Amino acid sequence: MNGAAWVSPMSLWRVGCVALLLCSGISLFAQANSPEVARLLREAQAALAAEDFPRAIQNFTQARQLAPANLEAARGLLLSNLQAGHPAEVIAAGREAATRWPEDPQLLHWLGLAYFKQGQLDPALAALQRSAKNDAAGFDIHFDIALVLLSKPQYPAAAEELETALRYSPQQALAHVLLGRAYLNSNRTLQAIEQFQTALRLQPETPLVHYHLGFAYASLGRNSEAIAEYEKELARAERNAELRYQLGRCLLETGDWKAAIPHLQAAVQLDPRNGDAAYNLGKALLQGGEIEAAIVQLQNAGRLRPEDPSPHYQLARALEKAGRKVEAGEEMRRFSELKKAQPQTGGMATGRVQ
Amino acid sequence: MVLFLLGMAAWAQAPRKAGVPKPGAAQLSPSITLVDVTRAAGLDFHLTCGGAQKLYIMESMCGGIAVFDFDNDGWMDIFLVNGSTLDDRKTGTCHPGKLYRNNHDGTFRDVTAKSGLNHCGWGFGVAVGDYDNDGHEDLYITYLEGAVLYHNNGDGTFRDVTAQAGVGNPGNWGTSAAFGDYDNDGLLDLYVTNYVDLDLNHLPQFGDGPFCTYRGIKVSCGPRGLKGSRDRLYHNNGDGTFTDVTEKLDIDPGAYYGLGVMWLDYDRDGCLDLYVSNDSSPSLLYHNNCKGGFTEVGAETGVAYSSDGREQAGMGIDSADYDNDGWPDIVKANFSDDTNNLYHNDRTGEFTDMAGASGFGPVSLPFLAFGMKFVDLDNDGWQDVFVANGHVNPQVDEHSFGVTYAERPLVFRNLANGKFAEIGLKMSPPLSRRYAARGAASADFTNSGRQDVLLSVLDGSPVLLRNQSAPSGHWLRIQLIGKRSNRDGLGARVEVKAGSSSQLLEARTNASFESASDPRLHFGLGRADKVDSIQVRWPSGTIDKIENESTNQELVIEEGRGVVDRHAAAPSGLRPSR
Repeated sequence: MNGAAWVSPMSLWRVGCVALLLCSGISLFAQANSPEVARLLREAQAALAAEDFPRAIQNFTQARQLAPANLEAARGLLLSNLQAGHPAEVIAAGREAATRWPEDPQLLHWLGLAYFKQGQLDPALAALQRSAKNDAAGFDIHFDIALVLLSKPQYPAAAEELETALRYSPQQALAHVLLGRAYLNSNRTLQAIEQFQTALRLQPETPLVHYHLGFAYASLGRNSEAIAEYEKELARAERNAELRYQLGRCLLETGDWKAAIPHLQAAVQLDPRNGDAAYNLGKALLQGGEIEAAIVQLQNAGRLRPEDPSPHYQLARALEKAGRKVEAGEEMRRFSELKKAQPQTGGMATGRVQ
Repeated sequence: MVLFLLGMAAWAQAPRKAGVPKPGAAQLSPSITLVDVTRAAGLDFHLTCGGAQKLYIMESMCGGIAVFDFDNDGWMDIFLVNGSTLDDRKTGTCHPGKLYRNNHDGTFRDVTAKSGLNHCGWGFGVAVGDYDNDGHEDLYITYLEGAVLYHNNGDGTFRDVTAQAGVGNPGNWGTSAAFGDYDNDGLLDLYVTNYVDLDLNHLPQFGDGPFCTYRGIKVSCGPRGLKGSRDRLYHNNGDGTFTDVTEKLDIDPGAYYGLGVMWLDYDRDGCLDLYVSNDSSPSLLYHNNCKGGFTEVGAETGVAYSSDGREQAGMGIDSADYDNDGWPDIVKANFSDDTNNLYHNDRTGEFTDMAGASGFGPVSLPFLAFGMKFVDLDNDGWQDVFVANGHVNPQVDEHSFGVTYAERPLVFRNLANGKFAEIGLKMSPPLSRRYAARGAASADFTNSGRQDVLLSVLDGSPVLLRNQSAPSGHWLRIQLIGKRSNRDGLGARVEVKAGSSSQLLEARTNASFESASDPRLHFGLGRADKVDSIQVRWPSGTIDKIENESTNQELVIEEGRGVVDRHAAAPSGLRPSR
């Protein structure tokens, strides 16, 4: 799992930026030190409000040239570039501005977001944490730090930031969802469920919350509850490959291979690179007695997950059932070889792919 | 994991059909009632097993129970193995096991003092078997350092015969053990599972290293990261001595972390096979070639790994024919975050894990199972399953993992259609209480025709659950006496037909975790009011056939002679009140 992809930086970053924009707009004029600079800042602000980002950038750049020491021009330039989707420019301008205003929380905040957008998580975290050090109050900064921490991934630390953020703004459903995910990945499953349920109470339409709730239930073996939640999510996300996979897998765990097969087939179709889906589809087909189709999927899973012994174990059993004993023996040998090469972690083994 | 894009299209929820029970499924629908009678029954035992924090692996593994009739009075007695602590081991302070004699009124009396069962050590498991065929059940107890074989003198006392018998398991930490006659020579052989090769002077430090964590928190180390200890198979020479045939028969060459063992004849060829559950390594199924040797076939038969081909932390195991198809199936207890296994015998030499499809597996995910027993609690003719749970790391209680240290037992009612329903929470309070349970054994302690359950609990009192289910079905209990075969008849296959039902049980004492259960074969018969036929296939190959017997009685069947004695059910009302 890619941590940066997990939090979908683009959409969440935009949420954060909108909030910052709303907070910072009034003060943009406060430090205008000439009529011309004041005019440029006014026009830039209007452009920003109208989402005319090129014009906003142009005006903030001119204001910055006329008044290099004007903090609001520097902030505006960063913000408009950030909004325009130019994180590289934000980073360049932000680093320069940060030499002049090294402790300014807003500059640091936006610089941090730009780094995050570029996938540079360490400088992003450093900038955001410096911002928080100078102005720790408010939901946004803690929420954004949490986004970076979730991407690193540092779940317990992310959970702490989200807990802080929610103390400022407890009604933010999305933050509850992310806190739930942070808890879930910190093995705090029961607390995760509480967070997802809170998000649902606050905003029933919160995206993916049923999915996450289902995942948490499934991890506790509460499969009927998990399936119910997945199916609620399915009502609005039919073409979500990951959802189809998890639902299919959960159904398969309950032994309902018949119901699992269409979901796993959909998961494989929607994301042909998902070796887990192919593997579970192979297992489901095998349970359903479709041995040749199972063999095809398990071979596919073996190709997609070349270092994973599991597909070879299932394949050996499928080939055995198909009467292809020599091939079955080969697969069992391959399974043993891969198993030996796998590092052992933790004191106790569990037989379930988590 | 990915965070999905917003605004996805709606999806019509596809309805699914629920499973349809087979016609003629359960003949009765009684409630199952188990009542905690421990105190009233006089079981005042306390199981000592290390410190409360469980800093070292051996502090989590105690709990052997032996249910056996040591004085041949026809009533099941109890021996409870005790552990120790590191400090007490150093100072030589003893925590003796206890022998309880059945008073025939639902209570027990501590008769340890004169029994001679006084070995001072850190005990774990216990096996029961009449190794010298003298008609008195002997005991084999495993310890952190070696093991002891106690010969039953037949007068209420036991004698330590370990040295002359040659079954001391020297230098090994034994867990479970089981008697069985693998070469059908009429003498019980002995298998001992050994766990970890521990240097007690240099114990791995709590939380120190990659094998000393669980879900990111520090816990006791192992078993991974520690050296495994090779199991032992002892062949009975018939003169009071045994020969260690481990190397000769290539037993456990990988020295896996052994925790559970039972003898069964999974392919019905008349030769006892052997199933061994190992912790964090593949479980092993030894197929008996009927020529004095074994071939390990765990992986190819499908009982070595999870269905994903992953090692499991196998603990307790048991075997019975849960679907009454005439072939013995297997259950296996595993660690939390994993499902317990229900391996269905496909009759082809392979097993399929039906844990998911049967409803047996998923509910067990948060539970760490140890003791596991097939037992027909409602006498409906279908084997239910009792599971004793309890985590190994008390530290889990400091976190909200969804896993707790003490856990409630699970009771799976066999729905007679290939599925099980977990009914523990719907039952009486003892089943909703949480225990750090380990051993589990079943027995009809009151000879009333209902099977009770006895649990061992770490650092606490055992729990005796008296079966007061009502209405309960008819039943038949069979005690075997071997003549050409071993006297206990262990390994005999008994098939009972009553009405439309046909059931199979194999005679064994040891299964579950470190424990031995009532050796008498108990058949629940549901509404059937007579037994049409009984067939006993003895390990010697002798077959005894008996027809037209009444229900609700115990039959004593002697090899080659058929029924030699019968006992009616004990009068009701001898059970102590709660």
